[in-house]
Amino acid sequence: MRIVVAMRQLADLVEELEVNDEGTDIDREFVKFVSNEWDEAALEEALTLKDELGATVTVVALDEPDVDQTLYAALAKGADRVVKLTGNDPDTWVRSRERAQRLASFLAGESFDLLLTGVQAADDLDGQLAGILGSLLEVPHAAVVVGVEGSDSKVRVIQEMGGGLLGVSELDLPAVLGIQAAKQTPRYAPISRIRQAMQTGEISEHEVELSDASAQVKVRRLYPPESTGAGATMLKGSPKEVAAEIIEIIKSKGLV
Amino acid sequence: MLVGVLETRKIFGGETETAKMVFYLLAVVVLAIFFTGLVKRVIEYNHGRRPASFSWLRRRDARDIPEVSERPKFASSLVTIAANKTVTKSRKKVGISHLLLFWGFIGLFLATSILSLDYDILGNASRFITGHTYSFFQGPFYLGYNAVFDLAGLAALVGTVLLVYRRWFSREIQLDYTRAQRPEGGYSRAKIVIGDQVFVVGLLLILITGILIQGLRIDGEGFPSFERWTWLGYLVGKGLVTLGVGSAGARAIHAWLWWVHVGMALAFVAYIPWSKAWHMLASPTNLAVRDLATTRRIPAPPEGKTGYDSIDDFTPRELLGFDSCTKCGRCHAVCPARTAGAPLSPRDFILDLRQWVDRSRHIPLLLDTETRPVASGPLAGDGQLVGDVIVDKTLWSCTTCMACVEICPVGIEHVPTIVQLRRSLVDRGEMDPTLQSALQNIATQGNSFGKSARMRARWTKGLDFPIVDARKEHVEYLWFLGDFASFDERLMSISQTLAKVLNASGVSFGILFDDERNAGNDVRRVGEEGLFEMLVEQNMEAFSKASFDKIFTTDPHTFNTLRNEYPSFGLDKPVLHYSELLAILMFTEEVAPRSLGRRVTYHDPCYLGRYNRIFDTPRAVIAGLGCDLVEMPRHGANSFCCGAGGGRIWMDDSYLEERPSVNRIKEAQGLGVDYFVVACPKDYAMFSDAVKTVGIEDSLKVIDIVELFAEATEATELVDV
Ligand code: SF4
Ligand code: SF4
Repeated sequence: MRIVVAMRQLADLVEELEVNDEGTDIDREFVKFVSNEWDEAALEEALTLKDELGATVTVVALDEPDVDQTLYAALAKGADRVVKLTGNDPDTWVRSRERAQRLASFLAGESFDLLLTGVQAADDLDGQLAGILGSLLEVPHAAVVVGVEGSDSKVRVIQEMGGGLLGVSELDLPAVLGIQAAKQTPRYAPISRIRQAMQTGEISEHEVELSDASAQVKVRRLYPPESTGAGATMLKGSPKEVAAEIIEIIKSKGLV
Repeated sequence: MLVGVLETRKIFGGETETAKMVFYLLAVVVLAIFFTGLVKRVIEYNHGRRPASFSWLRRRDARDIPEVSERPKFASSLVTIAANKTVTKSRKKVGISHLLLFWGFIGLFLATSILSLDYDILGNASRFITGHTYSFFQGPFYLGYNAVFDLAGLAALVGTVLLVYRRWFSREIQLDYTRAQRPEGGYSRAKIVIGDQVFVVGLLLILITGILIQGLRIDGEGFPSFERWTWLGYLVGKGLVTLGVGSAGARAIHAWLWWVHVGMALAFVAYIPWSKAWHMLASPTNLAVRDLATTRRIPAPPEGKTGYDSIDDFTPRELLGFDSCTKCGRCHAVCPARTAGAPLSPRDFILDLRQWVDRSRHIPLLLDTETRPVASGPLAGDGQLVGDVIVDKTLWSCTTCMACVEICPVGIEHVPTIVQLRRSLVDRGEMDPTLQSALQNIATQGNSFGKSARMRARWTKGLDFPIVDARKEHVEYLWFLGDFASFDERLMSISQTLAKVLNASGVSFGILFDDERNAGNDVRRVGEEGLFEMLVEQNMEAFSKASFDKIFTTDPHTFNTLRNEYPSFGLDKPVLHYSELLAILMFTEEVAPRSLGRRVTYHDPCYLGRYNRIFDTPRAVIAGLGCDLVEMPRHGANSFCCGAGGGRIWMDDSYLEERPSVNRIKEAQGLGVDYFVVACPKDYAMFSDAVKTVGIEDSLKVIDIVELFAEATEATELVDV
C-alpha cells in the first residue's frame, strides 16, 4: 500500500498570538511554528498501517516555517520519503483551498492508495482540506476518521458520529481521509534520531506553480473577538474566595 | 628431628606419604576449579565494552569538588579497602564485624601461605635438589608466627560469629529478599538465602575446626611450654582437657578433624568464583577502579548506539560491579522508589543483571540465584535486555537520587546503568505520555511547561526594578533560573524574592531572558541524550551571547549539569548555587540579618548534597539567620529524595503506595519544628503538596531558604507564621 500524509505547520498556540499591522494575518515574526496535531495523528495512523500491513509512507508539506523539522521528525519516526513543496511564500498564510491545489498538483503525478491528513487545523477548524483534496483528485473522501483498517483495494474506516456513536464504512482506493485520531498516541521521535535523519535523510523538493493565483480567497480581516461585556463574569479574589463563589454558583443552579 | 629442643610442629595431621599425596591431589583439583572460575570471570569482564576514550584508565580527573568527582588514586582506594571504610560508613557495628573478619581472614590466609611456602615449596624443593629438607618454620619465627596469627584467628572468629548472629536474628529490611518488582508466575530466593548461610556458616565452621585442631594438637603433644606462644590453641587445648579430652584422645580426634578442616577449607577455595564468596576478590577490585564522577557526569551511549540493548554494551566496570554485589541490601533499604512501593530496588536491579549476564555467558552460580516456576525476566533465554530482563516500569521508577550509589559498600554505580537502559526505551519511544509531552515541550519551547519561550522572564513583571539583560550588559553573576523557578506560579514569587534580596544587596546579576533553555540535567537522566545535547548547544550559544563572570542557579539539578557536565561541552565559568550566594552575602557582611529565632529543619536536595557535597553552606545560612536547626534522622549524605528527580516529576506517580515526599514530611512531623526549609524549586513544589496530603500545612510550613533570608534582612515580614 502506498500512503501519502499531508502535513502543515501552524503557529504554536502556546504563544501569545498577535495580529499583524494590516490585520490580515497573525504576526509571524517571533512565533514558533509546529506541526498540526491532527496531522501528527494522520502520520501515526499511516505508520501504524505500515507496521501492520507493510506500506510506503510519503509525507508531503508546503514550504512553511520550521517545516524541515517536521519532515525530519517524520523520517525519524519511520516515513520512507518526505517531500517539501516549494513555490509558495513561506511567510504568508496559505488558506485551505490554495493548500489543496498545491498538494493536488503534486499528487497528480504520484500514484497512491491512501491520502491522510488531519481532519482540521487551527486555521482550518471547518476541516476543508481533506474534502477539497478529495474533489480535486476525484477520489472518495471521509472525515473525522478515528481508525483505518486496510486491505489492497479497499479500506474500512471508523468515523466518529454524533451522540457517541461510531460508524464503519468501506471505501474504494484510492481515497482521502481526514484523521481525527490515530489508534494510538503519536509516537515520540527521539532527537538523536531526528538529527540522524538530518544527516542521512533527504528532503526532496518539488516546485509547484499555481496557474491562477488571483482566484484565491482574500483575508479581509483577522481579529480577536471583541468582548461584549455581557457574556462572562470574571471571578476575582483569592483562590479560596473564587472556589467558594464557584460552589455557590453550582449550588444556585441546582447542580449539586 | 629433635622435637622439644626445636620449637616447631608437624605440618600434616598424620604425615604419612599417602596423606600427603591425597592432599596435594586435592589441592591441585581445587586450584584448577578456582582458577577456571577466576579466568572465566576475568575473560567475561574483558569482553565488556571499552568506552571510546581512555578516561576509564586515567586515575585523576581534577575538578573543584575533589571528594566526588576526582577519581580516587590507588593509595586512597587501598586505604578505603583496608579500613573497610565504605562498609563501616553507614553501619558501624556491621562494618566493624566485617573489618574483624576481613583482617582475620587475611591474616589466616597469610599464615597458610607462609606455611605453604616453607613446607610445600622450600621443603620439597630443597629435598629434591640437595637431599636435605630446609625449613624456616621453627624457633623464634615459629613462636612469633603463632602468637600473631592466633590473633588473626580470634579476630576472624569474633567477626564471623557477629555476622552469623545478624544473619540469623536480624529483621532489618536490608536482609529481606522480597523483590520490589514481583514477576508474574512467582519467584523464589531460597537458594540465595542458602547461599548466604553456606558462606557465613561455612567460614565459621572452617574457623572453629581450625582453632580446635590447634588445641587438639597441643593437647596431643602434651602442652610443650613453648606452645604458650600459640596462646589461642593452648587455651583451647586446656579447655579440652577440662572437658576430659586427654592426650591420646586429642591425637585421635585431631587425626580426622584435621581432614575435616582441610577438606572444608579446600572446598571453600574451589567454591569462591562460583558464589557470593567471589565478592572477596571482586568488591575490593571494584572499589579500586570505581569512578565517583560517573553518576555526576552520565557517560555517553555506546559508540553508534543510542543506549544499552545487549550484553555487549556493559563496560568491564559494570560487569565487575554486578559481581561485586554482596546483597547487603543497604541500597534496597534507602531507595525512595522501593520505599514508595515502586517496582524498583537497586539491589534487585543489580542481581537481575548479574544473573542474566552469568546465564548468558554460561558461568554458573551454584547457589545465590533466584529461581522461578516459569522462566521469565533474567531467567528466560530469549528476552530483551530492556523490557524483559529489566522491565520498563522498574527503570522509570528511579529518581536518580543517588542514595544507592552513596551507600553501596562495594562502589557499584547503579544510576548510570539505569540511564543507559532508559535510553533504549526513549529510542523506542516507550514512555509515559506525560513524559513524552514534557520532552516535546522542551524540544519545541525549551521548557517542560509547554509555555512559550518568550514567557520565560514573565516572573520579573511586578518587580519595581529592572532585571539586567546579561546579553546586553556585563554582570558578575549570570542567574540561570531553570523551568520551575521561571514558570511555576508558586515559585515565581520566590524568584522575585531572590531578585529583591540580590538587588537590595547590590549584587551585579542578570538573566538570559528568552534565551535560557532547560539545562537538561533531568532530560539526560530520563535517557533523551539527543535532546540533552541540543539543549547544551542552545544554552552554550546563549552563554556566548552574554557577558558574565560566574553563574548561579536556582535549581540544584541545573547546578549539577552546569557544574559537572557542561565543562566537557566548553563551559569554563564557575557555577554556584543560590544558597552559596546567600552565604557569601552573609559572610562578607554585605547584609546584616536579624535573628529569627525559629525552630526549623532542612531538607538536603539530592543534587546539591549527595551529588555536589554542599551540606554545610545552607546550614551555615540557616544558623546565621538565628534559626535553630533540628536535623531529620535522614540528613546530609543520607537525605531522602523528594521523588521528583530523574524526570519523575514529569511522570505519573499515582501507582505509588506512598509518595516519597509524604514519607519525608512524616519524618519531619515529629521534630517539633514550624518550618521545613528547602533550597530547590522542585522540593518546594513537592513538599507543599505533601504537607497538604498529610494535612499539616498549618503546623509545618514549607519555606525556601531565601524567604527566610529575606525575612531576616528586610524590615517587613514576608512570611506569616
Ligand atoms: S538512584 Fe535513588 S531511586 Fe534510583 S535506584 Fe538508586 S536509590 Fe533508588
Ligand atoms: S548493590 Fe551495593 S548496596 Fe546494593 S545490595 Fe549490592 S552491595 Fe549492597
